[in-house]
Amino acid sequence: MDADLVAEDVTGGRPFGVAIVDDHPVVIDGVRAWLVREPRLRVLATGDDPDEVLRLAPGADVVLLDLRLHGRMVLDKLAELSAAGLRVVVYSEHTDPDTMLAALDAGAVAFLAKHEGREHCVATVLAAATDRPYVTPALAGAMVGDPRPDRPALSDKEREALLLWFQSMSKASVARRMRISEHTVKQYVDRARIKYTRAGRPAATKAALLARAIEDGLVRPEEIGIYRSQAQTDRPTP
Amino acid sequence: MSTESGTALTATAPGPAAGPARRPRAPDPSRAVADRPVDGSAANAVAHASDLGARIAAVIIAVAWHLTISLPAVLGVGPGMAAPPVVAVGWLVTAAIGVWAAVRLLHGGLPPARRLAAVLLLVDAAVVAAAGERYLFTSANWVWGGLVWFFLLVLWRRPVWWLLALLGAHAAIALGAVLASGADLTRYAMSVYGTSSLPVAVFVGAAAIAALALDRARTAAAVLAVEAEREAAERARRDRRDRLVRAGGAAEEVLAALAAGDADPADPEVRRRCVLAAARLRRLIAESDDVPDPLLHELRAAADLAERNGLPIELVVVGTPPELPVEVRRRLADPLTAALADARGHARLTVVAGPDEVVVSLVTPDHDGADATGPPVVDGNGPVEHVHDRDGEIRWTQTWWRRT
Repeated sequence: MDADLVAEDVTGGRPFGVAIVDDHPVVIDGVRAWLVREPRLRVLATGDDPDEVLRLAPGADVVLLDLRLHGRMVLDKLAELSAAGLRVVVYSEHTDPDTMLAALDAGAVAFLAKHEGREHCVATVLAAATDRPYVTPALAGAMVGDPRPDRPALSDKEREALLLWFQSMSKASVARRMRISEHTVKQYVDRARIKYTRAGRPAATKAALLARAIEDGLVRPEEIGIYRSQAQTDRPTP
Repeated sequence: MSTESGTALTATAPGPAAGPARRPRAPDPSRAVADRPVDGSAANAVAHASDLGARIAAVIIAVAWHLTISLPAVLGVGPGMAAPPVVAVGWLVTAAIGVWAAVRLLHGGLPPARRLAAVLLLVDAAVVAAAGERYLFTSANWVWGGLVWFFLLVLWRRPVWWLLALLGAHAAIALGAVLASGADLTRYAMSVYGTSSLPVAVFVGAAAIAALALDRARTAAAVLAVEAEREAAERARRDRRDRLVRAGGAAEEVLAALAAGDADPADPEVRRRCVLAAARLRRLIAESDDVPDPLLHELRAAADLAERNGLPIELVVVGTPPELPVEVRRRLADPLTAALADARGHARLTVVAGPDEVVVSLVTPDHDGADATGPPVVDGNGPVEHVHDRDGEIRWTQTWWRRT
């Protein structure tokens, strides 16, 4: 879906290394089968213990992490990895909005629901590898319904794009409804996601997401209000 | 678009593993009670009834004292006092204040405490002076023991320290007279203690009884509310269990057929049955509201119906709908149920709800080709906006309520 937009930015020949942490071998095998068909990705290590997997693959660009390992929610581990600068894509069957937003707060680069399929999985991992946002429909639903009083202030267009994306799961249909281009729909959705880098505790991954968004001209530093010093360029949003 | 995704996104805390028995949002009885207005009115009525008894008692004590003790004493001494007319006028003014306060109290109101207290203190000082030294400690100086009951009436339901302050002023006026006349201070102390302790006890006792009654009534209301909530939750759980048994039966059947080799996984019909059974189970597992919400209930019923006709459907709910008028709920749900009846292939039904906004949407594949497409049809009349849109790829029905 959005993988093509990301593909242009892949830098040169080296494929991105992916580590998969899940306590169900059948899930690991399934995800590996999905990723193997994507030449820009290479699965470096898999297992059910994050520390062990990362010891085997210290150079992993992206970690796919099941949020529930051996019956325990590992939000603390997620925060630890994110703080250390590892790009963690949370991969979970727990798709209640609170859990998704908590994962973003803890520093997850993206949240992928287990039922969202190969297309979203590959696109999410590719986007994460280049510090770019990717918002699946499930996550869009959580963001648009975020009831917390300190939630990021989204513009009307950003909210509308998130809502319609969540409802229809088709950016083409959203674009038609909003009478804008698909590219602009994606921009609204991604800008909303970038605003969420403010929520929760700071993490190296959030700073990286934001810095790349500023570089790409997706947001201006003053729209976010923090991390201003990390803005290398300040191009107007197209 | 995946047709096999169907996890409810109701606002829940990260809970234990998903499973049929999962109930992530247990109702918090204390919160449920605190939010309920019912304990306010009902409990207050009980407290009011109990307070009314104490008011009647206080009025009877004050009036009886004034008529049967103060009046005969004043009449008995008569012209012997320093200024009998002042004492008589004081008695009349106090009687008038008593009647006024009593009427207010017995009608459930409160007399204007500050103004009446000030008048009573004036009467106090005037009568003490007008009675004269000779009658200082006799019942002809009726304000000593009689006025304190009127303090009680005018300060009803006010903070107890107001009463203590007024009694203090009363004692100070008497002390002035005692010092001026050179009378015995021990006798004075005994008099002050004797006349003040009983009214204070009555005042504090009445307040305590009213508070206790309020507390009891609140507890009773809370117990009732929790009980009602428990019953609703129990009913929802039973409903869900029944549907789970039915859905589980369908899944079991197709799984058994697959295991026995009677069904071929390559057969599109078998795959359709698998998809249906899975979608239905997933939807049931995802239900996380313990107390049934009427809007979600209607949508679920429509989804169940469509599913029984063979349509795989996912229902995703974000947030909890607020209490909505029946008319709004009808306008939100009806276009969706109508569209659902016409849906083919699969359907995605979503609800995004907040305190001021509810958006319901149904997206299904557009089955009549691109010919019938056009710009979105918007019906913006009334409190609910209804948009119907077809773009050749999908059919999109959306209803949107905003609090105005």
